[in-house]
Amino acid sequence: MRCTLATPTVNTPASETREDPPASENKNIPVKQSLHYKLVITLYRVFAITVLYLVLAGIISYAFVMGFYAVNSSWAAPIILSAADEKSLDFRQKLVASQQSIEDLKVDTKKLDSGLAEMKKHRAALLALEPELQRAIVREQTHNRTTGPELATLDRQKQADNLKTQKVLAQLKGVESNITKDLASGLITQGDAATQLAALNQAKGAYTDSKIAEVLLTDSVLDKTTTGTNSLDVLVKQAELRSEVAQLDVALNVAEKQLQEEARQIDRLRQAIQTAKQSPYYLNASGEKTLYFAFIPYDNQASAVAGSPIYDCYLNMVACRKVGTLKQIYAGEETSIHPIFKTQIRGFLVQMNLDHAESAKSKTVFLGSKPVLF
Amino acid sequence: MAPILLWLILVLCLLISAVKYLMGMILKFSFASTKVQKDYAYQPTVSVLMPCYNEGRTVYETIESIGKSNYPNHKFEVIAQDDCSVDDSYDWMLKAQHDFTNIRVRTGRNEVNSGKARSVCNALQHSTAEIIISIDSDCIFHPDAIRELTACFAEPGIGSVGGRVGVRNPNDSVITAIQTVVYYSAFQLYKIPENWTRSICCISGCLFAIRRELLLEIEPAIRARNWFGIPVNQGEDRFLTHQTLLRGYGTYINNDALCWTKVPNTLPVLFKQQLRWRRSIVRDFFFTLRTLPQHVWKLHPNTVFTLVLTPLGAVVGFLVVITMLTSDPLAWAGPVPLITALGVGAVLTWAIKKYSAKEAVTHPLAFGAYVAWSLVSSLFLTPLALCTMDSADWGTRTKPHEVHLGNTNR
Repeated sequence: MRCTLATPTVNTPASETREDPPASENKNIPVKQSLHYKLVITLYRVFAITVLYLVLAGIISYAFVMGFYAVNSSWAAPIILSAADEKSLDFRQKLVASQQSIEDLKVDTKKLDSGLAEMKKHRAALLALEPELQRAIVREQTHNRTTGPELATLDRQKQADNLKTQKVLAQLKGVESNITKDLASGLITQGDAATQLAALNQAKGAYTDSKIAEVLLTDSVLDKTTTGTNSLDVLVKQAELRSEVAQLDVALNVAEKQLQEEARQIDRLRQAIQTAKQSPYYLNASGEKTLYFAFIPYDNQASAVAGSPIYDCYLNMVACRKVGTLKQIYAGEETSIHPIFKTQIRGFLVQMNLDHAESAKSKTVFLGSKPVLF
Repeated sequence: MAPILLWLILVLCLLISAVKYLMGMILKFSFASTKVQKDYAYQPTVSVLMPCYNEGRTVYETIESIGKSNYPNHKFEVIAQDDCSVDDSYDWMLKAQHDFTNIRVRTGRNEVNSGKARSVCNALQHSTAEIIISIDSDCIFHPDAIRELTACFAEPGIGSVGGRVGVRNPNDSVITAIQTVVYYSAFQLYKIPENWTRSICCISGCLFAIRRELLLEIEPAIRARNWFGIPVNQGEDRFLTHQTLLRGYGTYINNDALCWTKVPNTLPVLFKQQLRWRRSIVRDFFFTLRTLPQHVWKLHPNTVFTLVLTPLGAVVGFLVVITMLTSDPLAWAGPVPLITALGVGAVLTWAIKKYSAKEAVTHPLAFGAYVAWSLVSSLFLTPLALCTMDSADWGTRTKPHEVHLGNTNR
């Protein structure tokens, strides 16, 4: 553009003579563009415009994708689980460990069962002894109650008799000296004296026997009327018997509880294994068929309905096609990385029936309906 | 592999920037050799060249502020060159010429719209002074600016000296607040290591002093600047600084030579300005790469690093941002970048308030928005600059009713 009021540079004050523009001021000679340069510039401009439009399209697409995934609540992220997957292996390992635990518990249970039966038999035998013992004690006590007083009476009689006998024997001391005197004086023969002395000794012996019988009788009375060591022994035996039974009761109780606990544990493990067998990781690790899973964040839970169609889309949102249905929803919580925002999110896994195996490799699929109109 | 390489280059660029800021702080307070030995007794004749395009009344205020310089009036003149403004800028020039009779003001007008660089060259034809100071027509100058600039030329090896550009409108908006912090840190820290080796890589065109014989030597190159036949009229300050260095002269920023400019206060204007600057950086980068052996041979390693890695950081930054947005898009929205920006902003706004109260930013939290700007800057400016290298549009001074002037004479 040519400047209408172009003037050369002038000095101040204005009255000074205007200078002619120096020759160099008109040096703005346009640089001649060679054909080669023109071609380069044209190519550059075409390239630049293309690049800028691509950048613009990229930025708009990026912004749209970000916005889309911020509001969309029907997407799911397919996951390909391999048998060698760390989680699957871990799951399988735990499953085997659980099954081993069940087997161990079963062996324990059997041992406990047989021990329990043995203890019960022993207890029954002990319990059968108890009434026998009790009856013997009662019998003995009843007998003692009857014979005890009789013996006591007899003992008193015996003592009285012995007392009388003792007095008689005291009188016999003079008889003995008389016999000796009679013999010495020849009043009696030696035979008579011997016979008389023998009779005397016999009487003394009888007294001694009677005294012994008295002591024995007193002992018997004591045995019959008071609690003796024999009775205590019997009582100790009774107490031991009862104690043994009580110990058996405790052991039985513990064994029964342990048995119940182990039974419960086996149940729990069986349930856990049952649940685990429904886990995608188990199914994936044990199944021969390829299974397809997808992660669904909790925000999109409402879209996860068994049987609902699954769509796979180009550019993660457009030109969608139905690729299968949702087969099963698994309850366990899973965490995963958001396929777009790359943040950690919580959700759950579902199993998909896919007609197009390739869709398992898509970044996202959509549940229920196409996310946009096409 | 490629992303790792990108990250490595970016980390290297950022590391060099961080080291430069750190070195700036150390050198600023510890090494006297960072500063030139100024000689205020050295008072050469000075021509202040003021190219102008659509600045309106501001031109008058700029000349007025120059007129108040603490420099012998007989030793300097103002040569105002209008670049075919479509507004009343030229009238204001004439009015200034009429009003400020204490100094010599010369005015002129280009025959055709030629761009800033060629306007400076046109104005240069009328100068006979020993030192040429090129200024922006929208700046206000400190009375000591000329004195401070010329005093640096006492050091013989110095070819070009720049001044510090302060912000006149720091609190117009968040955008101006961010720029205030960036300008301040750039002049007070980032450029200090370059000052140490007398190798500033870009002296701001707002206040650019150069020895006359050196400018005359470079002038043909300025006039001949073209990109596949399309004249280049942007980034003359970077080009001049670069040429000064390649001719074996030193370059220096004297932070005591102050001028004040109004920075863009709206996003579109800022974007256009930054795009223009980014184009200059990219163009300069290509030039450096094309003549790399010459650079390595002639220049201080610090200068080569700055000339190569600063623009490379901008180019790689674009790729890194793309990688981040696709791999971890919410990282930008995370707290780390924001907290970092707020922390840096808080320290720098405190420093500005303490050492340059005139530029004090009233909303220190405004610098947090730098995170968003850095994203826009990395993502849009570099590819746009790379794809519009043929543009000669200045961008920020074109009037709405005006036809595009950039390449009209080509």
